[in-house]
Amino acid sequence: MRTAFRTASDILHRVPAGAGQALRGSTVLLALALAAGAGRAAAQVDTIPGTVRHLGVVYESYVPTLAISPFTGRFGGLTVAPRVEAVIARDLRYSDRFEMMDSIPLAPGGAVDYGLWDQFGADWLVTGQVEGLGNRFVLVLELHDVVFSEVKERARFSLPRPDAEDFRMAVHAISDDVVRWITGEPGMAASRICFSMESAAGSQELYVVDSDGENLRRLTNFNSLTMSCSWSPDGSRMAFLSFASGDPAIHEMEVATRQTRVLDFNRAGQPMTPVYHPNGEEIIFSLADGAESGLFSWRVREDCCLWRLTTGRWNDLSPSFSPDGRRLAFNSNRLGVAIPQIYVMPAEANGRPDLVSPYLYGQGGYYTSPDWAPSGDRVAFHGRYRRGSYHILIADVAAQGQRLLQLTYEGNNEDPSWAPDGRHLVFVGERDWGFGLFVVDTVSGRIRPVLAGVRPRVPDWSPSLASTRAPARDN
Amino acid sequence: MLQRSLIISVVAAGLFVASCGQEELPPPPPPPVEEGPNQDSIDAARRAAEEAARRAAEEEARRAAALEAAREALTAMVFFDFDMAEIRSDAQGVLQRKVDVLRASPAVRLRIEGHADERGSSEYNLALGSRRAEAVRQFFVNAGLAESRFDVRSYGEEQPREMGSNEQSWAQNRRDEFVITAGGNQIQVPGGGQ
Repeated sequence: MRTAFRTASDILHRVPAGAGQALRGSTVLLALALAAGAGRAAAQVDTIPGTVRHLGVVYESYVPTLAISPFTGRFGGLTVAPRVEAVIARDLRYSDRFEMMDSIPLAPGGAVDYGLWDQFGADWLVTGQVEGLGNRFVLVLELHDVVFSEVKERARFSLPRPDAEDFRMAVHAISDDVVRWITGEPGMAASRICFSMESAAGSQELYVVDSDGENLRRLTNFNSLTMSCSWSPDGSRMAFLSFASGDPAIHEMEVATRQTRVLDFNRAGQPMTPVYHPNGEEIIFSLADGAESGLFSWRVREDCCLWRLTTGRWNDLSPSFSPDGRRLAFNSNRLGVAIPQIYVMPAEANGRPDLVSPYLYGQGGYYTSPDWAPSGDRVAFHGRYRRGSYHILIADVAAQGQRLLQLTYEGNNEDPSWAPDGRHLVFVGERDWGFGLFVVDTVSGRIRPVLAGVRPRVPDWSPSLASTRAPARDN
Repeated sequence: MLQRSLIISVVAAGLFVASCGQEELPPPPPPPVEEGPNQDSIDAARRAAEEAARRAAEEEARRAAALEAAREALTAMVFFDFDMAEIRSDAQGVLQRKVDVLRASPAVRLRIEGHADERGSSEYNLALGSRRAEAVRQFFVNAGLAESRFDVRSYGEEQPREMGSNEQSWAQNRRDEFVITAGGNQIQVPGGGQ
């Protein structure tokens, strides 16, 4: 049995010299690496102390080439097919896992000429046909392994009507299936990003946008400061801070119905920065009371039981759970109010915290907004060293701040949040033209804007919504 | 007969002369009018009343101004240094005036709202705003005022006063604001100035 991954030598062995080689883009990647390297030398000075081992993005030596043959349609599916193809093609490009070939109309609908696709340099080929009968649409999708001249996967997906609200999300879920077929890893096309932003009326409200930047919608209309949204692990609920009831309080919203309730902890102080435990039954948040704010947990299902996790005359906030729920990353200014740092600790009362941001005594540094990676071994956050710019960083949890990956080199960058594929991060970027929501691929270093020209705050990337949104495969 | 008519003419002439001479004398003062003395006292009383009203209005205006000054002292903002929550020396006087008014006005309660400038992270700035609000509450408590009279909250960097991205705007945005939440109609001017 051949594994989903193929080695570079496998490819090099069989690829003929010529057009296919150029399409693999190895020269493009090399140029990218050189360009990023030049930027890194300058950025390192203001972001990371010299004693910390600094890593740039490590480029994959081999990225498979994927081609999409124009989707065909039958009956009512004729007009829908190009729309489905366009969404899937963009999703696969945004996955950053393939070198995407331009769509070549090579006898679409006919038998696949593997030899010809091989000469074009394709490793994988996706073909699709949309059948439409009345309001019912079915996509027959095939993934061809060009190298082995065979159909690797074939599936029938029923689709919502193209004008239905869940049409795009259903197609995104299919894109994630293609990613899983090829790489064995989860995708992130079928997901959304929540964040807060000033509305036209001037109040800060919650918004949500699909991972590809489509379907920007406002979730709240509270006419008061609302921020720090956090998805529940199944994507059905959201916790956030709002002043909607007059006093600052944590709210919980059922996303589908937008039904919202206020969590009443029956305790003085301002709650902030809520986040769900991976079990979906508890939230952890920061409660500012007096000169300190400690981390507390609350059982949202039972609506009870305030439990204190940290204490001290400083601020602990912005918690984030490890995927197994056993550890917490959080932000604390226990070393000084102007030099917040990132810590990890066991998710229990008075666990011993370890630094993961690159703090050096007397050297300052400002690091906040941790988000624990789905892979479990890394924490993303943003920060700066001395008076430099703010950049997105990833720390190895085990290395305790002595090994850092820097992902941005331009402008200011804040509040990273991991995608469900464990590979991409969304963050707020400030450029000389303004603010925007950006996505960075932590493997290739590629950055793309999701929303530009708006000023989003504290985004949170949802879990995969494929299981809840996509129609069952129709085999 | 002749003599009698002579007398008459003499008398007449005398009368004539007399009447001519009388024309050059000042006319006698007019007879005193009965209402005279009463009108004077009314005027005096009116002037006194007007004076009293003016004084009262002045006093009232002074008191209103003092009250307004006391109210303004309560709601005057204080500002902070970048990334800091320490009370600056220029804020001490502003806060001491608040303490004076609060001491004189036991019914007054305040909400202290901490704010940060846009630099740094949105969530960390919530914590920073909360420290700034708490620093002022601690100043009040240290001055002997009851902690229960003060609510604190933080809006972080989310409600700037100035929209610019420069030090001038940021300096205006790193602040505590004060809202009178109770006793707003029972503010007393400190120093017995009722």
